[in-house]
Amino acid sequence: MTGLALTLRRLLRNGAAEATRAATDRPDGLPRWDGVDREGDAAGSDEPSRLIGEDLELGYPGTEEPVVEVDRLDLPAGEVTALVGPNGSGKSTLLKALARQLEPDAGDVYLDGSDLETFGNKAFARRVGLLSQEHESPGSLSAEELVYYGRYPYRGFFDAVDDADRAAVERAIDLAGVDHLRDEPVGDLSGGQKQLVWIAMILAQEPEVLLLDEPTTYLDLHHQLRVMEVVETLNEERGVTVGVVLHDIAQAARHADNLVALEDGSVYDWGPPDEVVTDDLLEEVFGVVATVGYGENGPTIMPHRPIEE
Amino acid sequence: MAGEQPADGAAVGYRDRFAWLDSSLLWLGTSSVAVVVLSLFVQVSFGTYTMSITEAWSALLDADVWYDERVLVSFLLGEELMRTVLFVPDGDALPDLATNTNIVWNVRLPRVIVGALVGANLAVSGAIFQAVTRNELASPYILGVSSGAGLAILLTLVVFSGMTALLPVTAALGGTVAFLVVYAIAWKGGTSPVRLVLAGIIVATICTSLQTALYLFAEDISTVQSAVAWTTGSLTGADWGDVRLVFPWTVIALTLAVASSRQLNVLLLGERTAGALGMPVERVRFALSSVAILAAAASIAVAGIVGFVGLIVPHVVRTIVGSDHKRLIVGCLFVGPALLVSADVGARLGMQVLFDSPNQLPVGILTGLIGGPYFLYLMRKRQHLGDL
Repeated sequence: MTGLALTLRRLLRNGAAEATRAATDRPDGLPRWDGVDREGDAAGSDEPSRLIGEDLELGYPGTEEPVVEVDRLDLPAGEVTALVGPNGSGKSTLLKALARQLEPDAGDVYLDGSDLETFGNKAFARRVGLLSQEHESPGSLSAEELVYYGRYPYRGFFDAVDDADRAAVERAIDLAGVDHLRDEPVGDLSGGQKQLVWIAMILAQEPEVLLLDEPTTYLDLHHQLRVMEVVETLNEERGVTVGVVLHDIAQAARHADNLVALEDGSVYDWGPPDEVVTDDLLEEVFGVVATVGYGENGPTIMPHRPIEE
Repeated sequence: MAGEQPADGAAVGYRDRFAWLDSSLLWLGTSSVAVVVLSLFVQVSFGTYTMSITEAWSALLDADVWYDERVLVSFLLGEELMRTVLFVPDGDALPDLATNTNIVWNVRLPRVIVGALVGANLAVSGAIFQAVTRNELASPYILGVSSGAGLAILLTLVVFSGMTALLPVTAALGGTVAFLVVYAIAWKGGTSPVRLVLAGIIVATICTSLQTALYLFAEDISTVQSAVAWTTGSLTGADWGDVRLVFPWTVIALTLAVASSRQLNVLLLGERTAGALGMPVERVRFALSSVAILAAAASIAVAGIVGFVGLIVPHVVRTIVGSDHKRLIVGCLFVGPALLVSADVGARLGMQVLFDSPNQLPVGILTGLIGGPYFLYLMRKRQHLGDL
């Protein structure tokens, strides 16, 4: 990939996103996901972006230099965008900023054109769900009880569970396919089952945007596929915009509409998988010599050896 | 699938307001009430002032008290407030109670009531702190409260001895100030359970050193004894005034605690998850800690620093009813009083029974003697102890 082509494509994309942002400024331009199913629309770059990061500088208390510096990041509406990169490239940090878990040192994140800071805590949680890497489940809690916590942003301090909560929880349990686990104590579940139950909890939030931080890491293959299947179903049937950090670039290439490849805290390249995943990317960003092939569901990767450093 | 939802929703209708009230909690509540009643029976019947059980119980049922609302109300509200509320003129004296009645009603009974309130406060406070610090070994005193209160107690007794009458207030204040200092030390663009606990250790170390130094300046043995009683926790001399002092704060703190049980549950899912669910984690954590401090300070004001109750009661309850905080806190409301009131039976009557001595022990010594072995048992029995 030449630098010029990359710049051009970025310019084009940015222009399109800029143009459509005005359109998304209206109060609620997109359907609620518990409402009507969207058509299985082709993932096109003409979609407005739901989440946009601009001129972001992200760091942690105690770090002098920003960990992540990104001029522009888009999660196009109704598409699955995967953040990929080697360890320490800042992909999880970036996701935290999008999820409002980390306040940027500089720059802003916009949800449907509004600055994240303008949202109330619960109002934001009703629109954006986050599955973090850290989750701790009190052992004696049943899976169903855990899923009910997904309704937290909908309930006032003294509100009891109502019919809308029950319906949302049932839908979420059904979507995540954890009906058979609902009475099991979460502490007794396998890692993969736990992950599905946690995803069900976030689905009970009925978010329009779903952010997942390495949802498949440490899971067995079966559950990796289960998790990605749930994410795809949500995206295709409910039109949920997905931003997902994936460790495995091959998995990302298979499941995502867009890839954002990060290297040392900045965007190396972004776009559809078959454009982003190249021998050069694997060599320069991931430090491996690999052959990229073309499969039915996006590029396939055959890694050969690490590059000597 | 969408069409089935209403039916499914109705099928899970058991999740109504009282679904949390299950058989294990009912059993726990009932047996705790039984323990409290049994302890009340013993406490009212026996003591250094000799009277037979029949005399004690007829004193408890004395018509002078039960049929004179002025007497009952002045116990609960204090004599002055009673006169205002019931429009009793100052010249209209209250009846003189018989000696037996006086002892049962003014000495033995209020002590049990204060014990029950203190037990409930400490247990709930401990349950909250264990959730806030995500540490099973946390107690109401983990964020510097006991050391701050202890230092305030010593300062009041030794340095500002003119203010001894205000000891309950200064002790509670000392605890609260120490808690605020702990929070200030732990704060660095936010807090975390570990930072809070470490800050608690820092403040406790300094306060305890100062407290020990102050012992050396105590002029007579009675001051030291008084300081020991306050810093180990004692119900000796608890009266209706103490009931009136601790009751309103107890009601406020415990109501807030029960109401915040869902916040506690969500907080336990991890800070990040709680934040992603829309909880303002720092604010909720501070608010919950404040509720727990209120409960702890209220109990310190009347009983001093009673150890172990706030540590072991939430454990016992969690083992029986599970980790849901609504069940846990309601369970603590019952088991806390049961433990403290029954331990106080030993504190008050133990020396008399064993050594025929009229001395009483601070109840904190008894709770420690019960708490230590219980932890030993837990340590032997369970693989993981610590992280919640």
